[in-house]
Amino acid sequence: MTNADAPPSLKQATLDALGYVCEEISPEDLEQDQVNAVLTAVVQGMNYVENSSDVCLAAVKALCNALDFAETNFQNELERNYIMKVVCETAMCKEADIRKAAFECLVSIASIYYDLLEPYMQTLFELTANAARVDEEPVALQAVEFWSTICDEEIARQEDSQEFGAVSSSCHFHFVEKAVSLLVPMLLETLMKQEEDQDQDDGIWNISMAGGTCLGLVARAVKDAIVPLVMPFIEGNITKPDWRSREAATFAFGSILEGPSMKKLTPLVHAGFDFLLNATKDQNSHVRDTTAWTLSRIFEFVHLPITGFSVVTNANLPRIIEILLTSIKDSPNVSEKICGALYFLAQGYEDAGSMSSVLTPFLGEIISALLATADRSDSSNSRLCASAYETLNEIVRCSHISETLNMTVQLLQEILKRLNQTFEIPIASSDDKEKQSDLQALLCGVVQVILQKFSSCHEKSAILHFADQMMVLFLRVFSCNSSNVHEEAMLAIGALAYATGPEFVKYMPEFYKYLEMGLQNFGAYQVCCVSVGVVGDICHALDNKVLPYCDGIMSALLKDLSSSELHRSVKPPILSCIGDIALTIGENFEKYVPYTMPMLQGAAELCFRMDVPDDDSIEYRNELSRSVFEAYSGILQGFKNSKSELMMPYAGNIFQFVELFLKDKSSVDECVTKAGVAMVGDLADALGPNIKLLFKESNFHSELLGQFCQSDDEQLRETASWVQGVITRVLVS
Amino acid sequence: MADDSASPSPSSASPLQHHRDAIKSSVHNTSASRRREQAVAIGKERREALIRAKRVCQAPISGSDEAEMEEGDMVVDEDKACLEAKTAHAVEELKSALSNQGKGAQKKKIEVLRDLRRLLSQPGLPLVDAAVKAGAVPLIVQYLSFGSSDEQLLEAAWCLTNIAAGEPEETKSLLPALPLLIAHLGEKSSTLVAEQCAWAIGNVAGEGAELRSTLLAQGALRPLARLMFSSKGSTARTAAWAMSNLIKGPDPKAANELINVDGLLNAIIANLEKGEEELATEVAWVVVYLSALSERAIGLIARSSIPQLLIGRLFSSENLQLLIPVLRGLGNLIAADDYMVDSVLIVGNNIIDQALSGLIKCLKSDTRVLRKEAAWALANIVAGSLEHKKLIFASEAMPLLIHLVTSAQFDIRREAAYTLGNLCVVPTGNCELPKIIVEHLVAIVDGGALPGFIHLVRSADVDTAGLGLQFLEMVMRGYPNGQGPKLVEMEDGIEAMERFQFHENELMRNMANGLVDRYFGEDYGLDE
Repeated sequence: MTNADAPPSLKQATLDALGYVCEEISPEDLEQDQVNAVLTAVVQGMNYVENSSDVCLAAVKALCNALDFAETNFQNELERNYIMKVVCETAMCKEADIRKAAFECLVSIASIYYDLLEPYMQTLFELTANAARVDEEPVALQAVEFWSTICDEEIARQEDSQEFGAVSSSCHFHFVEKAVSLLVPMLLETLMKQEEDQDQDDGIWNISMAGGTCLGLVARAVKDAIVPLVMPFIEGNITKPDWRSREAATFAFGSILEGPSMKKLTPLVHAGFDFLLNATKDQNSHVRDTTAWTLSRIFEFVHLPITGFSVVTNANLPRIIEILLTSIKDSPNVSEKICGALYFLAQGYEDAGSMSSVLTPFLGEIISALLATADRSDSSNSRLCASAYETLNEIVRCSHISETLNMTVQLLQEILKRLNQTFEIPIASSDDKEKQSDLQALLCGVVQVILQKFSSCHEKSAILHFADQMMVLFLRVFSCNSSNVHEEAMLAIGALAYATGPEFVKYMPEFYKYLEMGLQNFGAYQVCCVSVGVVGDICHALDNKVLPYCDGIMSALLKDLSSSELHRSVKPPILSCIGDIALTIGENFEKYVPYTMPMLQGAAELCFRMDVPDDDSIEYRNELSRSVFEAYSGILQGFKNSKSELMMPYAGNIFQFVELFLKDKSSVDECVTKAGVAMVGDLADALGPNIKLLFKESNFHSELLGQFCQSDDEQLRETASWVQGVITRVLVS
Repeated sequence: MADDSASPSPSSASPLQHHRDAIKSSVHNTSASRRREQAVAIGKERREALIRAKRVCQAPISGSDEAEMEEGDMVVDEDKACLEAKTAHAVEELKSALSNQGKGAQKKKIEVLRDLRRLLSQPGLPLVDAAVKAGAVPLIVQYLSFGSSDEQLLEAAWCLTNIAAGEPEETKSLLPALPLLIAHLGEKSSTLVAEQCAWAIGNVAGEGAELRSTLLAQGALRPLARLMFSSKGSTARTAAWAMSNLIKGPDPKAANELINVDGLLNAIIANLEKGEEELATEVAWVVVYLSALSERAIGLIARSSIPQLLIGRLFSSENLQLLIPVLRGLGNLIAADDYMVDSVLIVGNNIIDQALSGLIKCLKSDTRVLRKEAAWALANIVAGSLEHKKLIFASEAMPLLIHLVTSAQFDIRREAAYTLGNLCVVPTGNCELPKIIVEHLVAIVDGGALPGFIHLVRSADVDTAGLGLQFLEMVMRGYPNGQGPKLVEMEDGIEAMERFQFHENELMRNMANGLVDRYFGEDYGLDE
């Protein structure tokens, strides 16, 4: 690349190769002088005067991939100025492709080097505002994306500082707030650039959608400040004869409903609510679509009956329902948004106790309408069907069960009938097969929710009557899919096991092979994960009767744990599940101890050894630690009454792990702390005087427990005082 | 566990190829994953509820299923003041239920008892105090009256058990309840009730000598002993546990009374013969106290099959809880009655081999108590015949003892020194210096034990220092070719002995000075 005589095609290929290499490797793989060499080559390639446009494009793309490596260079003001200058110049190149790539670089820079952006924001604002207004759409999209990224960064910083109090290590320049009065008009302008029929197509992405999405982020970043900037636009356009104006105004309204305070929003929503309800009858389908979506946003954010804040009143509810149930028959895309509106309308009454009664009189109609919607044949894609069933689920979940018992049982029968019908679908292609499987997934989902609903309110007897029928259907769903275990059917079976309790044992001989298949599914790790959850459900349900299946289950779980192929997110649930098993089968867990304990120790060591470069890793480490604690707790409590001595050889190790973990102040997660503290208690509870010395020789527990007994978290407090009690008993024994 | 550090989210590809999610999206995108998260969350809640129930639940007796899992047992998330108020209220209820008559009264009585019992079972929360202050004990005593239903008796005894587990003052508050608790131990009671009463009495007996003598005066010993004969494992275990609390002394009267109960030895033997380790553990504690306190018991036990059973357990068990009383009981017997070494642990019999390997296991243990008691038992065994000395000298115990004498804590070191010293000598029977077994002495000194003994000489404890001096004497007298004094000198033994030059204890002073004069006198060193 630095060879001046090299032909352009070689330079381009070199830059392509550099770009690919940078994309694949991570920053610690390169020495700084190598990074410098890459950047020099790339920046040289970006010189449009000296190079062909192909070389230049390849250089910009390579830079985009190399940005992660350039930390040191960005920290150096001179180098940073130079890189930024080159990128900004490239963003004004006459070739659209190159401009687009340059804006992509700016998006990446905004996300990686937010902290260093301040000196360039004036320039960047001008560049992006201009591109968003007048440039070709692919470039304009990236310009908007730049601002969406800035919003992401600032929202994350605000959330962090809320969570951890005023002290926050990362800086927050309030770029969005400073630019908001210019940014918002620019975004509102993009809203008017809708495409015809954009709502019919799934996954379409254009400038008006990007603009609306960005507007939503701006609202979350600046909160109340957005309202006065957007309201004139809404009021000025919402009644215009031109559908684009009405749609854009409605879209803008829907976009800013998350962020501003209730106090700010409530009067506006009250004022506009009637208008919106009427707009569901607008002559233009785009407008109706966006209106329906805006209604769903209103129910999502401005409908909190528990707190007393709601746009819905006993007086307007009948009209709302009537309008929603009329519009649900509109074209499929509108119908889908109406499902969303019903979904969030119902969700408002989640955990609202008797308040959810207000929906009861309408439930019959709503359920029929949703079932009919799921059956519609005028939609080519499955989104509508899925939305209808998921909305049905939410309706069931949030209903006032004692008033809707019979209705829900009827619904269950209808769903089981539909599930049975899926076996009649003629299968001529893999497409048909997939459709059948998707539909089965949705129907199993409904059954699962109904089972959960009945289990949670001690009305199980009403549905146990159907247990055999359900199980037969689930097993048939399994046998439809020879290659894979059906995830949703698995989830539904977990719910069934919980509902039936020990009775479930009669299904085990048939079901076990599918469970085993699920546990062995390394590839589709979600299936494996769900199956692991079902093992927990089954343990809780069957109690000791699960024993004959434990050899198989344990060997599958241990194999899963030792697999490097299985996605790591499944491993914590597996460890917790092993705790469930141990707790359930008590002393019979003995034979698994020699295999399980090394795994747990390995996982514990991993918790300390693993790098935690980002939040995801921290969260994973927390989950892993928690699951190790839960596994130990299960085993200790399981052995407590009979074979606790089996755990003696491990006590020192376990104690050390929890001590190190709890002493580490960086682990702030309360759930993990709680699990760790509780496990200390289990250790003392199970091993008693045998480990008196451990407790005598260490003083960490008294110190920490004292601290936890003062915690704001009630459960932690309770757990800590229990643990203190147990330890005291051990120490005086 | 396989350590995979694979990227956690393969889906988070660069935003450049894929646009972000549109704000205007269909509800099914998020709802399905939300539903699944809920399913997972429900699973987690159930797991927590289950394990909390396990923790909170203090199962009283294995025989009653009802104790296992009950929603009502989970009194959680309530603060202390609220729970105290509840407790006081429960006691009030106890009072009013007593005066109830007619239909449902019986049921009500059990309910109120159960409510109180659950509150008292709260771990970590001192509600016992609140209950006692509210006057619970005299009320519960009324519930124990003769002719009450078993369920009522069980609940009442259970409440008292929990109260007795409290602070000393709270335990003492049970005094008025003791006669009835003892009465319900009897043959006419159901096993469950008797066992629960034994539990309560065990808690009371564990409190102190004063309460023990009250219980004994009220005749608790015999019915409790009979309960130990029960064929139900948990009943026999609870009774044995309560019994060991009752007879633990320091007054030996109870132990002497117990050994006179007909059939007691047979009951101990039968329980030790059963496989159950927890039962064996409690029974072994009874043996410990009998053998520590009663001469008569020692003689009878040593001549029964109990030593054999204990040695079998010592040999085969890895359970620390069991090993401690088994080893201590054996140690008591071996130390107190020569019959053990002379007639039970006969060299050449299988039984001494088992005993020895059990003791060696304990010498190796991480648990200090086991090491100490094992060294003590060995010290008493090597005090026996020459065959015993040879057997132990040839065993794996030797290097372990040498290690202990040089590096263990003081008390273990002393027992090990005592054993090693005894290994080197044959008592002559008269007042002369004992005869030295040179082979043993050489092996022990060459094995590196000498510094350990010299360390003992420096001990402030006169007996221990004397033990060290005796060993030095043997080395200087008996080590071949007159090398003894030199070895002692090399380990700073002279300095250690000279510390006694003006010691207040005459015996020690004379012994140390005599040794120094004799071996390091004017002639010392001239040979070279």
